[in-house]
Amino acid sequence: MLAYAIRRILMLVPVFLAVSVIIFLILHLLPGDPIDNLLKVGAPVEQRTEMMARYGLDRPLPVQYAIWLGKLLTGDLGTAIVARRPVADLIGQALPHSLALGGLALLFSSVVGILLGFVAALNRDRFLDRAIMGGVLLGSTLPSFWLGLLLILAFSVQLGWFPVSGARSWSSLVLPVLTIGLGGTALVARITRVSMIDVASRDFVMLLHAKGLSPLRIQLRHVLRHALIPVVTILALRIGWILGGAVTVEVVFARPGLGTLLIKALNQHDYPVVQASLLMLAMAVMLGTLFGDLLQAAMDPRVRGALA
Amino acid sequence: MKSLALRKTLAAAGISLAALLANHGASLAQEAVFVIATNEVGAPTYNPIKASNLNIATTLLFDRLVSQDADLSFHPWLAESWEEAPDGMSWIFHLKKGVKFHNGEPFNAETIAKWLELFKASENAYMTKAIAKVEVIDDATVKFVMSNPEPNLLYNFSSSYLSIIEPKSFVELGDNYGVTEVYGTGPFKLESFVVGQETVLVRNDDYAWASPLAKNRGPAKIAKLTLREIAEDSTAFLELKSGGVDMLLGVPTDFLTEIKAQDNLEVLTLPGQDVAYMPINVTKEPFTDIKVREAAAKAINQKEILDSVYGGVGEVANTFLISALPEADIDAKYKISYDPDRSNALLDEAGWAKGADGIRAKDGKPLKVSLWTQSDSSFRRLTEVVQAELKAVGIDSEITTFDSSSIRDQYKSGNQQLAIRSYNWDNADIIDWFFGGDRLGYPNVSMFNDPKAEELRAKAMTGSKNMAERIQNFKAYHEYVLSQFPMAPIYQPVTSVSYNKDRLVLPAEIHAPSVGATVIMDIEVKE
Repeated sequence: MLAYAIRRILMLVPVFLAVSVIIFLILHLLPGDPIDNLLKVGAPVEQRTEMMARYGLDRPLPVQYAIWLGKLLTGDLGTAIVARRPVADLIGQALPHSLALGGLALLFSSVVGILLGFVAALNRDRFLDRAIMGGVLLGSTLPSFWLGLLLILAFSVQLGWFPVSGARSWSSLVLPVLTIGLGGTALVARITRVSMIDVASRDFVMLLHAKGLSPLRIQLRHVLRHALIPVVTILALRIGWILGGAVTVEVVFARPGLGTLLIKALNQHDYPVVQASLLMLAMAVMLGTLFGDLLQAAMDPRVRGALA
Repeated sequence: MKSLALRKTLAAAGISLAALLANHGASLAQEAVFVIATNEVGAPTYNPIKASNLNIATTLLFDRLVSQDADLSFHPWLAESWEEAPDGMSWIFHLKKGVKFHNGEPFNAETIAKWLELFKASENAYMTKAIAKVEVIDDATVKFVMSNPEPNLLYNFSSSYLSIIEPKSFVELGDNYGVTEVYGTGPFKLESFVVGQETVLVRNDDYAWASPLAKNRGPAKIAKLTLREIAEDSTAFLELKSGGVDMLLGVPTDFLTEIKAQDNLEVLTLPGQDVAYMPINVTKEPFTDIKVREAAAKAINQKEILDSVYGGVGEVANTFLISALPEADIDAKYKISYDPDRSNALLDEAGWAKGADGIRAKDGKPLKVSLWTQSDSSFRRLTEVVQAELKAVGIDSEITTFDSSSIRDQYKSGNQQLAIRSYNWDNADIIDWFFGGDRLGYPNVSMFNDPKAEELRAKAMTGSKNMAERIQNFKAYHEYVLSQFPMAPIYQPVTSVSYNKDRLVLPAEIHAPSVGATVIMDIEVKE
């Protein structure tokens, strides 16, 4: 297991380098540059070249990349060009909010999704199954900004239970977590259900029934355990998505986070911030996959065997 | 006997508790929560020297030398008065006495000298570039020796980038100045600041040097002011509606009817600083012909756009500048207004004859042009109306939409013919910015480079000794630019501010171009 883990971690290094090149290039090949956002009405024309030189934007791209990567490896994310703050500070402020929101939403969609999927599988093709699957389908197709506004209207404006927006208290987390969580629930519930039904038709389940174990015990201890393997993979992949994909929800609920930071920086072409945020998200996806693989290996000896 | 004593004690405790609670209530009543305008969301620091964007809190933390009234005239603030030499080569500013920074440091002529020295490191240093030397005459008098006359100096000194910082702590705190701590002379002190979230300000109880444009001569009436940043307009509106916040400092036109329908909400309308216009690329066929340019410009029905696209809120634009500026008050014959007959006549004259489908053509080539716009829905809507109006005189235009962050780079290619865009600025030097021959592509989207215009431009920008001369020179420059039709003015929006009238009392008259320190000094929180 340890050897497998080490191998998996070493494999991340080339992926990381490739991702860093792509992130750097995509951004610098986009039309536009941060200087346009810095120049004020009335600034003299020469100021542009002066500022390009100050931020090193006049150098060839490979040189700029080498400088950036060199600094990155020593842990220096640079200073934001438009925002004028150390990038590490900006990310440090946004990350806890993203982690809290993303983590809780992931937890919500896992728990509720697995529970709903389990109940639906037990009641396969009956009314409850149809109702649950129909419900989650509806939930997943609602655009999150709209769902967010509906939740605000219902729970904040009408009932007054939670604050409309902001990140000042724990209660302000409830609605955003519900908004993101409900979207993820559908996926988890459907995969749990399908995978449970699939596992339930295997021979070993038949054997367990033959042994005379109680059906609920078979479903809980044996079928669900097997059925969770694909669910864990999906959940691990969603870690990265949940960190950066919450942009619309962050905007609707006026919460800070990596998503909002990234969008703002993209609009201003603030290269260092965009590069660092994208790298964070890419790392989250990479670590999420790694985590998922390790978890899968821990849960399923066949995976370990295949890679050993 | 015993029970009586107990009752007495209970009564005493009850009364004092009630008093305490009442007291607490009073302090709560002096608290207010405002939502800043969406275009100011995300300002990362309150360092006026380093920042590239500043939000409204900057105007409350710091004071400036000069304040500006709603009619854009200049008034004293930390400078009690000033004198300009007749040749414009020196200025003397008399400073207010007894002014103190939040950290107890005194404000005097020495402060000005040190601050302007520090300001040279700013990317906005051009604002004070004309000041060659700062001479401290006495504690309350400072003289600027100029390298060239700069009649725009008062405007610059009223800008929030020229907010007066406390030089000592500025140097000591370095990059943390404006983020973790900040010291100015303003009516409020910084209590806490979370980028993109909220800024909490507490009243500066020593404050007694507000701009004379504010009625209140003492400290602010609001004890604690929270400025929240909400990027989504619908969310901000729901916060206001549900009483979570007391004021929105920027309300989109779409929400105005909804807000007016609420009993407890009030809308305050201030003149805007935006102008929506259609640049015409003078280097691209068919717009190399001034007749076609004029025809396109006069095909635009500003009144119809104001009524149908903006619900009648705002003003039509007939010049390139916001109408509050004296330089916008030009000879009526240069103003550009809707005149379809003139448009049609000009196009006929230029040889573009109307075809069967209503589209004009010349030598077998149809009059087909591109019309660029940015992806925001308000621009899309406006552009579609303009497209229909151009078609009415026989110009067929095809809309191309660009992402708002990349459109500037597209302009630099110089391939645009017509475009719909807007700017936000309240000084006549915006003409230089958008039509200067050395900024072709962007900001000079019209690619306008005309020798006579360049001559007038140089005269306006650097050849004026005083304000009156500057206004004259800019008027001449403005008139000439308009006469060449490098653009068509369309619309001037207003700034709408909305507040909860059960919570706030606003001054009857607003003596400021926008809601800032001067207005907030006079805002009262209802008990």
